[in-house]
Amino acid sequence: MAKTDTIVIGSGLAGLTAAIVSAQKGQNVKLLTYGSGTLSLNSGVIDVLGYDQQHKYVASPRQGIQNLPDNHPYRKIGLQAIADSVSFFLKLTEEQGFPYGGDLDSQLPVPTAVGTLKPTCLAPESLNGSHLVDSHKIVIVTVKGLKDFYGNIIEDNLRKVAALKDKTYELIEFDSGLTGGRDITTLDVARYLDTDAGLAALVALLKPVAQNGVSFVLPQILGTKGDTCHKSLKAQLGSAQVVETTCLPPSVNGLRLQNLLKGAFKQLGGEIVEDCRVLRGIMEGAKCVGVVTQAAARKKSYYATKFILATGGFYSGGLAMREFEKPQETIFGFPVYFVPGEENWSNAELFSDKPQGFALTGIMTDENLRPVDGSGQVVADNVYIVGRNLGGYDFCFEHSGNGVALASAYKAGNM
Amino acid sequence: MSDTKIKQIAPEEAAVFTADHCLSCTSCMSSCPVMEATKEYRGPKLVGPAHSRMHFSQEDEEDSLDFCSNCKSCDRACPSGVAVSTLNMLQRGEYYKTHAHSQRDEMLAHGEKMGKLVHSLPLGATCANIGMRIGKALGIFGLFGLAVERDMPSYAASTFKSLYKNISQKKSDKKVVFFPGCFINDNEPSVGEAMVKVMQVNGYEVLLDDKFCCCGSPMVVTGYIDEAKEHADRNVERILYWKNQGVPVVAACTSCSLMLKKEYEELFNEAKMKQAAANVYDLFEFLDILADKGELNTNFQSVSAKLTYHVPCHLKAQGFGVPAASILRDVPGVTVELADAGCCGMSGNYGFKGDKYDISMKIGEKLFSRIKEQAADSVICDCGTCRLQIRHGTQAKACHPVEILAKAY
Ligand code: SF4
Ligand code: SF4
Repeated sequence: MAKTDTIVIGSGLAGLTAAIVSAQKGQNVKLLTYGSGTLSLNSGVIDVLGYDQQHKYVASPRQGIQNLPDNHPYRKIGLQAIADSVSFFLKLTEEQGFPYGGDLDSQLPVPTAVGTLKPTCLAPESLNGSHLVDSHKIVIVTVKGLKDFYGNIIEDNLRKVAALKDKTYELIEFDSGLTGGRDITTLDVARYLDTDAGLAALVALLKPVAQNGVSFVLPQILGTKGDTCHKSLKAQLGSAQVVETTCLPPSVNGLRLQNLLKGAFKQLGGEIVEDCRVLRGIMEGAKCVGVVTQAAARKKSYYATKFILATGGFYSGGLAMREFEKPQETIFGFPVYFVPGEENWSNAELFSDKPQGFALTGIMTDENLRPVDGSGQVVADNVYIVGRNLGGYDFCFEHSGNGVALASAYKAGNM
Repeated sequence: MSDTKIKQIAPEEAAVFTADHCLSCTSCMSSCPVMEATKEYRGPKLVGPAHSRMHFSQEDEEDSLDFCSNCKSCDRACPSGVAVSTLNMLQRGEYYKTHAHSQRDEMLAHGEKMGKLVHSLPLGATCANIGMRIGKALGIFGLFGLAVERDMPSYAASTFKSLYKNISQKKSDKKVVFFPGCFINDNEPSVGEAMVKVMQVNGYEVLLDDKFCCCGSPMVVTGYIDEAKEHADRNVERILYWKNQGVPVVAACTSCSLMLKKEYEELFNEAKMKQAAANVYDLFEFLDILADKGELNTNFQSVSAKLTYHVPCHLKAQGFGVPAASILRDVPGVTVELADAGCCGMSGNYGFKGDKYDISMKIGEKLFSRIKEQAADSVICDCGTCRLQIRHGTQAKACHPVEILAKAY
């Protein structure tokens, strides 16, 4: 019976990070995944904490974290581990040739596809919107045939930002030649810009407009290979800035980060088992010794000393609710915290400035990220909970999703 | 705080109903190699779950469905258990119930018949191979709609079934039935010979069953769904027969094993198919289970080989990892590096279609350049048509991993 040191279940940001951290410690790690993980739906920028519990903007995530309620996952993880996870991430992305910038004491403004600026803690240079403030002219580059990226809406919204109100704006359109056939996506254009021909076509369009003090705003199309395309474009455009927005999935930047993380994990000798649905844990009292998975036509078990659960929330199937007020963790059946009472479950406005009760649903843990029951008793000694499996935070409201994923994964990997 | 004990998540429903699980998340779109290669294909999300929901209730066709290669990358990407590619193949089957097939598809779907014919004639294989070369030179392939750039796989002088008769095996109480499939039987019988050697060293006697027929994969992908069902019925009956005798069925071609283990049930949704599937193993899956029980013969001799492993899509879709890599890494002198470059682009008979050749080669580019970079002694791959694509795209040597393992005994 083959046994691994650590098994990680799930391949989103949390799962991949936990797998890398574990493998960096010299452990033998298997990552089991069902589906390709959520990074293709994820902006790939690391929001640590954008808004506090009253939905007030947080200027310094480090400060904001200290004012969070006790049952927030960040309070369990602890400030030290959060800070270390940020350093770890900056170092990893640097080593892998796709460096992220930012720090725990400030926010970077990342432009969105509708022209708002969202605060984030860590982002690659191509998504760093602070350049817009320093420029006098903003040129919005739309792409022919690309839906969900409208220059005039972006301009209107950027003008609502005080610091961007008085800039000069210009809209231009890039014809990628990819039209004909189906609707194109940012991913199609990004793959085209990975090629020399694609890059040359974009340079030809932008160069005549690229003067000192100009910032270009584009959808997320600057290649799928880390910052390669952004770098070559900038090198050819002199001192003009080039900034991408976040976009609807498939998220090109999420895929860039996914490639980076998978690559790093494989370099460390890690193994990814695909199409591998974990059905249940094999428990000996409070100790997990293995997991049973569903392969084609039969089950297969994997054994390890340590397990990290990164299967996500309701959306990813890590949590489920088949009966109201009976949320389930779908593999081990760990106790799941939720806000009782239908009236507290949600507020009618999905995108309001109030948190959603249901969003707090998830597993509560001890300070070592092991699952606990209602009385705070640890229910599994060697299973660690990371990412959206955790309860007690509304990532959407706070803008803390990837931050919790990164910090919890870092901590769990180091336990 | 709730500490309700959970019930197990409900078992999957029939594949045809999984369309309703689609959350429109686009994961499958990011992973579809055909979508990456051409803008003509609308992609798995729209063509699979979205379109099939309408299609099965009303008369409606999706033109770009023809582009799907059934590589199953979409199924692997989907977090919600949607059997995307099977939905595509069911729609294709429906389409061809009321539309005529091309002569090319007639030929590509029925490799088994051709193989039988060729091998029943004296010197048939030689003549057929010469004939194919002449046919290619005269441009007949192109007229048929086949990819003129490719050689058709040449026929082996003797089929595996005839070679098998001359192998003298040690008798054993432990037996497996080998499902060679068309490609190993007609084109690369050396894979079958290596398989028998490996099983013998591990204490198993290998049986053959003449009543097995083509698994039906080439028919499913060309829309001969009723004929594929007939093949499924025949094979399932035999698998269940062997199951009753306590003899497992082992296949060494991952498209065959996937068909027998998973696609029959997904496509045709009959209980007997699920029962049969439980008695079918892919070869390295079987060896891995032996290894797990400590029963794999690991008295390996040293074999000097630096290998690049292209893991076929249809193996990944079986969800048991990549055991050939770990088993071969235990052979002294062997190194295995995963190519990790996605789909090879061949997808069974897809790359043989004239109008799909360019797409097929474009998809393969990543793999070809990875193979060239790694400059291994040989590429290993469990799928016969992937091996054809690798040889065509790189001139590298390509063999089945069991052929390397056989050298270690
Ligand atoms: S089977 Fe392959 S080609 Fe067909 S939709 Fe899925 S990923 Fe695309
Ligand atoms: S990956 Fe699955 S759920 Fe997502 S769009 Fe494709 S079929 Fe739908």
